[in-house]
Amino acid sequence: MMEVRHLKKKYQENTVLNDINLSFQTKDVTCILGPSGAGKSTLLRCLNLLEKPTEGKILYEGKDILGKQFDIRQLREEVGMVFQHFNLFPLKTVAENIMLAPRLVKKTGKKEARECAEAMLAKVGLADKADAMPTSLSGGQQQRVAIARALAMQPKMILFDEPTSALDPELVGDVLNVMRKLADEGMSMIIVTHEMNFAKEVADRVIFMADGSIIEDALPDQFFSAPKTERAKSFLARFLI
Amino acid sequence: MFDWNGVMTVFPRIAEGMQLTIYIAVSGIIIGFIIGLITGYIRTTEHCILKKIMSFYVWLVRSTPIIVQALYIYFVLPRILDIPFDRNLAGIICISINAGAYISEIVRGAILSVPRGQWEAGLSLGLSRLQVITHLIFPLAFKNMLPALGNQFIITIKDTSILTVIGVAEMTYQAGQYAATSFNLVESYTTLAVFYLFLISILTVILGLLEKKMGVGTK
Ligand SMILES: Nc1ncnc2c1ncn2[C@@H]1O[C@H](COP(=O)(O)OP(=O)(O)O)[C@@H](O)[C@H]1O
Ligand SMILES: [Mg+2]
Repeated sequence: MMEVRHLKKKYQENTVLNDINLSFQTKDVTCILGPSGAGKSTLLRCLNLLEKPTEGKILYEGKDILGKQFDIRQLREEVGMVFQHFNLFPLKTVAENIMLAPRLVKKTGKKEARECAEAMLAKVGLADKADAMPTSLSGGQQQRVAIARALAMQPKMILFDEPTSALDPELVGDVLNVMRKLADEGMSMIIVTHEMNFAKEVADRVIFMADGSIIEDALPDQFFSAPKTERAKSFLARFLI
Repeated sequence: MFDWNGVMTVFPRIAEGMQLTIYIAVSGIIIGFIIGLITGYIRTTEHCILKKIMSFYVWLVRSTPIIVQALYIYFVLPRILDIPFDRNLAGIICISINAGAYISEIVRGAILSVPRGQWEAGLSLGLSRLQVITHLIFPLAFKNMLPALGNQFIITIKDTSILTVIGVAEMTYQAGQYAATSFNLVESYTTLAVFYLFLISILTVILGLLEKKMGVGTK
């Protein structure tokens, strides 16, 4: 459903992504691993054009998203994103956070949007938090609200950028459980993560990146038991204690 | 010695001038806020030409004394444009463009102080830039800029006093006229100072209550 061809991203003279070629299939869960600074976030953010690629092509359902006539807002409606730092809207309640985009973008009625928000909250295990303010929630709860917010747009795909990296260790599990459930339901997901066990268990495919390039693109079993490259081996070694 | 009769005479005149002071300051701050909102926002965007124009405006206002601007607007502009200006209108224009330039800076700073993540979350959900601005950025920015806006309002009230040079009959003008004709300088200017103290103090209290109500300073 998404195809990346010869993608390049430079910040001034600094090449952050170098000739990335990938294609993502519907219902696949792809985990992107790699050391910090590898360009994982930049790649993810190019996919919904929060970052503008310097060169290359990105096709979404066959359409060139960098083309003049492509409406990027339509892609963003269909491809949700979950951020490391949640990015909830602090002046709005949990339910308002979730209702905002359906109301403004999809022009959903207030009542319907509210019902949808409650359903999404139930799905992430926070049915009782609809009228709470985001700041009164724990990090894990905030991130689950952020997932519910993305789900309320009925996306075809969700991009996750280190969704658990800002959380206290004991809160990581709740968020991963929600993501596991989405994977089981067949949601297409691209997940940048450092949770190796989660990747091993949930991913259909693992991409290992370093220095702006894709070093390995493999099945999880293959990648975790027999990485092909030295880079991947030494990277994985750091996670085995 | 202190002549209480002089005070009694100048008091109603300054009180009358106070109405004009408040009228000009409130008009100026409202128009200035609209100017500041638009120019401040534009200066945070990528619109090169518009941005240059806005920066030019802010530079122009900040680099000339307000008294020169008042003289220019009242005496020079009508000659250039070939239309007569009413004093009070010239006063409101002068105060508005001044407040606008400073509020522009306040708005720009407040918008830039909103974390980038708010933009990204909004855009990633499919909102337009305008929707992100109006629903997410401005509400947060407004809370951040309330103290600075209040401060600007106080400055604006005091700035109206220079409009006395173009004959706007606000508080300072009234006191000056009386002082010049009666030679009760001490009484006139003491009463004038007390009026400003009173006005600004009341405003300070109101602004404090407003900030408290808006939860400024809390997360
Ligand atoms: N807005 C930016 N301006 C300049 N350099 C950036 C910017 N964003 C990221 N980079 C650089 O790009 C590189 C890759 O960053 P990132 O994609 O965040 O890596 P990762 O998510 O894998 O840790 C880093 O070296 C980072 O410093
Ligand atoms: Mg990152």
